[in-house]
Amino acid sequence: MKLRHPLLAALALSAVSSSAQETQAPAAPDPGAREVQVAQDQLARAIAEFEGANQSRSIVLFDDIIARLEGVQRQSGLPVRGRDILVQAYELRARAYFNLGLQEKASADFRQLVQIKPDYALSKDKVSPKVIDVFNLVKKSLVGYLAVSSKPEGAKVTLVSGGERKTELGLAPFFPLEVLAGDYTVEITKEGYKSETQAVSIAPRETKALEVELVRTLASAFFITEPPGVEVWIDGELRLTTAGSLAPDFFELARNKGLEPSRASARTEVTNLSLGSHIVELRRRCYETVRRTIPTPTPLDFEIDPIRMDDSQGSLRLTSDPPGGKIYLNGEAKGLTPAEVEGVCSGKIHLEVKHAAGKYIKDFTLAKDEALTLDCPIRPSLAFLGVVADTPAGERVLADADDKIRENLQKITSLNFVVPPRESVDRVLDADKVTRKGLVAGADPDVVRKVTAKLASALEVEGFLVAVLPEERLQHTAVLYLLAAGNAVAEPGEVTFGEAASYLRFISRVDFRATVYRPWSGLITADTLLHDGVPVLRTVPGSPAALAGIEPGEVVTGAEGKAIKATAALLALVEQKKPKDRLSFNVKGASGSRAAELTLAQTPQEIPLFEPTLLYNKVMMDLRRQIEGYPGTEQAAFAWLNLALCAMHFQDFATAHEHLTKAKAELPQRPGISQGTALYYMGVALDRLNYRPQAIEAFKAAAAFKDATLFNNDGPSVAPLATRRSAP
Amino acid sequence: MRLSRLPAAALVAVATVTFAQESPDQQARRLLEDGRTYWAQGKLKQALDNFNTIVAGFASTDSIGPALLEIGRYRLEVDGDAEKARASFEQVAKQYPQSDAAPGAYYNLGLLTLGRATTAAELEDALAQLTRVLRLYPKSDWVPKALYAQGLVHRKAGRYGEAVDVARRVFLEYPSSDAAAAAQYLVGHGLALLGEPLQAMEEFQQVRNRFPDGEWAARALEKTTALYRLHGYGKPTFTVDPAYNVGVGDLSKDVRAILMTAQGTLWIASEKTKSAVPLDPAGKPGPGVQGEEPRALSLDPRGQIVFAARTAVRIGLKDIRSFAIPSEKPVPEPLEKINAAAVTPGGSVLVADEKRNKVYRYNARFEFQGTFPDPRETKEREVTRLFVDGEGGIVMLDRGEKTVRVYDETGKTLRTVGPTGLRRPVDVAVDPFRNTYIADEELGVLIFTPQGQILHTLSGPELRRPKAIALDPAGAILVWDDKAEKVLKYR
Repeated sequence: MKLRHPLLAALALSAVSSSAQETQAPAAPDPGAREVQVAQDQLARAIAEFEGANQSRSIVLFDDIIARLEGVQRQSGLPVRGRDILVQAYELRARAYFNLGLQEKASADFRQLVQIKPDYALSKDKVSPKVIDVFNLVKKSLVGYLAVSSKPEGAKVTLVSGGERKTELGLAPFFPLEVLAGDYTVEITKEGYKSETQAVSIAPRETKALEVELVRTLASAFFITEPPGVEVWIDGELRLTTAGSLAPDFFELARNKGLEPSRASARTEVTNLSLGSHIVELRRRCYETVRRTIPTPTPLDFEIDPIRMDDSQGSLRLTSDPPGGKIYLNGEAKGLTPAEVEGVCSGKIHLEVKHAAGKYIKDFTLAKDEALTLDCPIRPSLAFLGVVADTPAGERVLADADDKIRENLQKITSLNFVVPPRESVDRVLDADKVTRKGLVAGADPDVVRKVTAKLASALEVEGFLVAVLPEERLQHTAVLYLLAAGNAVAEPGEVTFGEAASYLRFISRVDFRATVYRPWSGLITADTLLHDGVPVLRTVPGSPAALAGIEPGEVVTGAEGKAIKATAALLALVEQKKPKDRLSFNVKGASGSRAAELTLAQTPQEIPLFEPTLLYNKVMMDLRRQIEGYPGTEQAAFAWLNLALCAMHFQDFATAHEHLTKAKAELPQRPGISQGTALYYMGVALDRLNYRPQAIEAFKAAAAFKDATLFNNDGPSVAPLATRRSAP
Repeated sequence: MRLSRLPAAALVAVATVTFAQESPDQQARRLLEDGRTYWAQGKLKQALDNFNTIVAGFASTDSIGPALLEIGRYRLEVDGDAEKARASFEQVAKQYPQSDAAPGAYYNLGLLTLGRATTAAELEDALAQLTRVLRLYPKSDWVPKALYAQGLVHRKAGRYGEAVDVARRVFLEYPSSDAAAAAQYLVGHGLALLGEPLQAMEEFQQVRNRFPDGEWAARALEKTTALYRLHGYGKPTFTVDPAYNVGVGDLSKDVRAILMTAQGTLWIASEKTKSAVPLDPAGKPGPGVQGEEPRALSLDPRGQIVFAARTAVRIGLKDIRSFAIPSEKPVPEPLEKINAAAVTPGGSVLVADEKRNKVYRYNARFEFQGTFPDPRETKEREVTRLFVDGEGGIVMLDRGEKTVRVYDETGKTLRTVGPTGLRRPVDVAVDPFRNTYIADEELGVLIFTPQGQILHTLSGPELRRPKAIALDPAGAILVWDDKAEKVLKYR
């Protein structure tokens, strides 16, 4: 539909927007609004008639429109849209009357129009000059002019007629505005100043000019800061933030106060300060907060001395184990560990160091000029997936149990305990139709492995914990299930969820670090009733003892200045030391006594297959940390071996075989825990999987490693065991 | 309100009320736990009462299996009634295979079968019972015990390699289990029997390193000492302990036999005193046992003394037996010139008769079974020493042939020492590693490997006429010298 008439087009647009608004607005039955809408619809028809061949026919329609709208005006007052429609209806009817030669009626309509909108003007482009003349004549008889100026400028001017009707005229000063002749009260208001009213009487064609001087009641303060972007807080409320750049007028002032004008903000006003005294704080991140008290005893402008903000930064020196962690300070990336990060804004810092092996998270406060050194041990993260209840009784205490469990498990120190968003977890579980309870009890192991791997990736964690409230009469127990990512069997621990003490055992099991390395000498001795000291049975080839020249058959009589009567004393001495520590011995042989010194090395230690005190899921998380943290190293290779042993603990020989393949590829070929060890266990795994021929091959390969051992570098030799097991 | 001040009826009422609030399962569980507590406190009768109450009144609860298991244990360990014990265990295994006690039942059945096994088939039966534990209950706490027991089966069968393998699994895979220490000890012992003394010593030392506070640590020290004496670096050396001085007065006259137990008690059988007297490790004599014309000493499978005198054999402190063989006459012919006697692991009694130069076998009810080793043998043997070694081998010293032979229960010869190298053997001892120590009146003491090779000879001016020999748990050699009239200790 092409809208030719500009009025109609404007109205149509208005109607569209209005109708759009009406569509969006709640449908409240408003008779006035209905009438206005009807009037609008009618206006479109009336305009069409007005522009048509028989213009006079539009008058009837305009009559109706006007009658409707005036009815609404009388009852509830016309909204702005209604007034616009009424004004247009009057104009067009007047013109129609004029075109019919009914000038009186036209003038009457114009009179009504001007009373509604005194500043109305007919379009010279659309309306004939004769009509315009009539209109203007009418207008002149009705309209006067009002001009208002205020000191200071910018006061709001409101025209009040009849005590009730208020029309805002704008901000002073303004040029004379057309107003209907009559008596008014003019209200002049400005924030920070006392409001003024003046009565005015305006005759037709008369111009009244008002000059009003306002009395100030509130103060203002002006701020200049270096740098800009400083928040100005007054009495605990943020009033503004300085911005812009300083005008040259104020350069000298700024310089006098030690500011660099080119780096200073514009002079910024904080208005409407009550009289008295105010506490001002100027804040900006990375700058020291400035506190002042400013007096504003009188309603004047106060110039606050320009303020140069002092840097408030510190530095961080971050290391992590393993290195190469991505540093995030308050969410901002800052490189990789180890790193020295300068220019760190003081204040609250949320530090995250993220690594494939886990995370380190710490919240702390950095003081100004503080140089903080932080070691950030990367820890695996444990996601608490929530609490599930087996019974309605359990459901009732779910929220309480959840709170208590979270509160108590925050005490775990060896893992990052995180609570991921429920929706994130649900999304992954729903995709594979697994429930939280199903993860830890009952679901297909392959599905559990897959889902935990996905969850781990989505949540950036390495393990999960689900709490289950079992069926019981008095609901107070929770069974906490720990499950490592990629594993299928969770391990339970029972707590009384409301009692903090009951968590201690579980937490100590979680925090327990399985021994995977110990200091090592390679000296094998035995206790006998025949010697005063301990005879050496053998030394492991290549070991510290062998390198120190200690021979089998010699008797160790002392170490580190103390007599040695039993092997236990020797072992205890070594256990207290660290790799690379030196140890001195007294040794007695065929040729007499002598001193010997060795430098300790370290031996890897296998995780025992069934150790009831260990939480194997936690051990797996720790081992994966080593693999991710030190890929391609011997440490990682030993971790693969131990991960295989953990899998075997769970009877998952297929996964164990995968891990052993990696271990075998990376373990060294030397005496002790080595490739032969991995091959032996590979044979065990293949045997359990009923791949007997392949198992035999693995055992035979293991038997070829004459110096390989089990358990640790001093442990039993692999070769004879593997030889026996390779018999068909 | 203090419960102890209430009258008994009220206490019962309180208990009843408490009980009544519990479910049958809870009550049965409580009875079971209390019973086990009584057992630990040595109140065995009360313990048995509790277990019987469960069987009688709570048969439908989960505690029935464990209760029957405990009853079986009582029958075995307290009553010494293996058959009744077996019946209890079989009831658990057959009627309650899903209970927590079922693996324990199979384990105990395996042990019982092992205990009486004398043939390969019986040993395989025992193995099968134990294998059920591993196969059917792989996550049970009984698995490490069953593995260890399998090691014992292999050891008894002479399959020392298998015994080592399976025992090693126990302490590698179940390092915290109750069986770990014993299993590690078994590995050491097995390696020693396999002729790997250095590895054996390492394993025994591991027992001391890992389980320093248990009984196995002390035993491991003795074994390491014994092994090191013989196989440590350098030649074996034995020196006389000048401070050793036991058996004074008549006890050290006309000594016919000496024997040392695992606990370090030295028995001396003296013609002069017509008795066998035990001396504790401090040398203090204990109550002895009488016997006219003492001849020989040995130990039965339960560790009781077997004292062979001329006309009778005393088994333990109280049981005296005389023996006879069938004859053409209406009455059996008594054995009146007994040289030696032994009780085999299978419960048979072997008696060496000087008059007929035969060794006769009697069953556990002392019924004549024939000659040993061959029931139909006609060969004559002048057997003066007869005992069972640590591996169940029946050791016989044939003085006439100057030979020591070791047989298994079926009479099969396992090994032979002599006659080469021997002149006048008078006594023999075997250490835990099957090394044979022969006291020879002319040569001193000769030590032979299980393969019959001479390992060491003990001689010297102090050893003039050895007549009897024994070994202490740490491998020191005790020799009764007839001329010196004293027990010499070589350590």
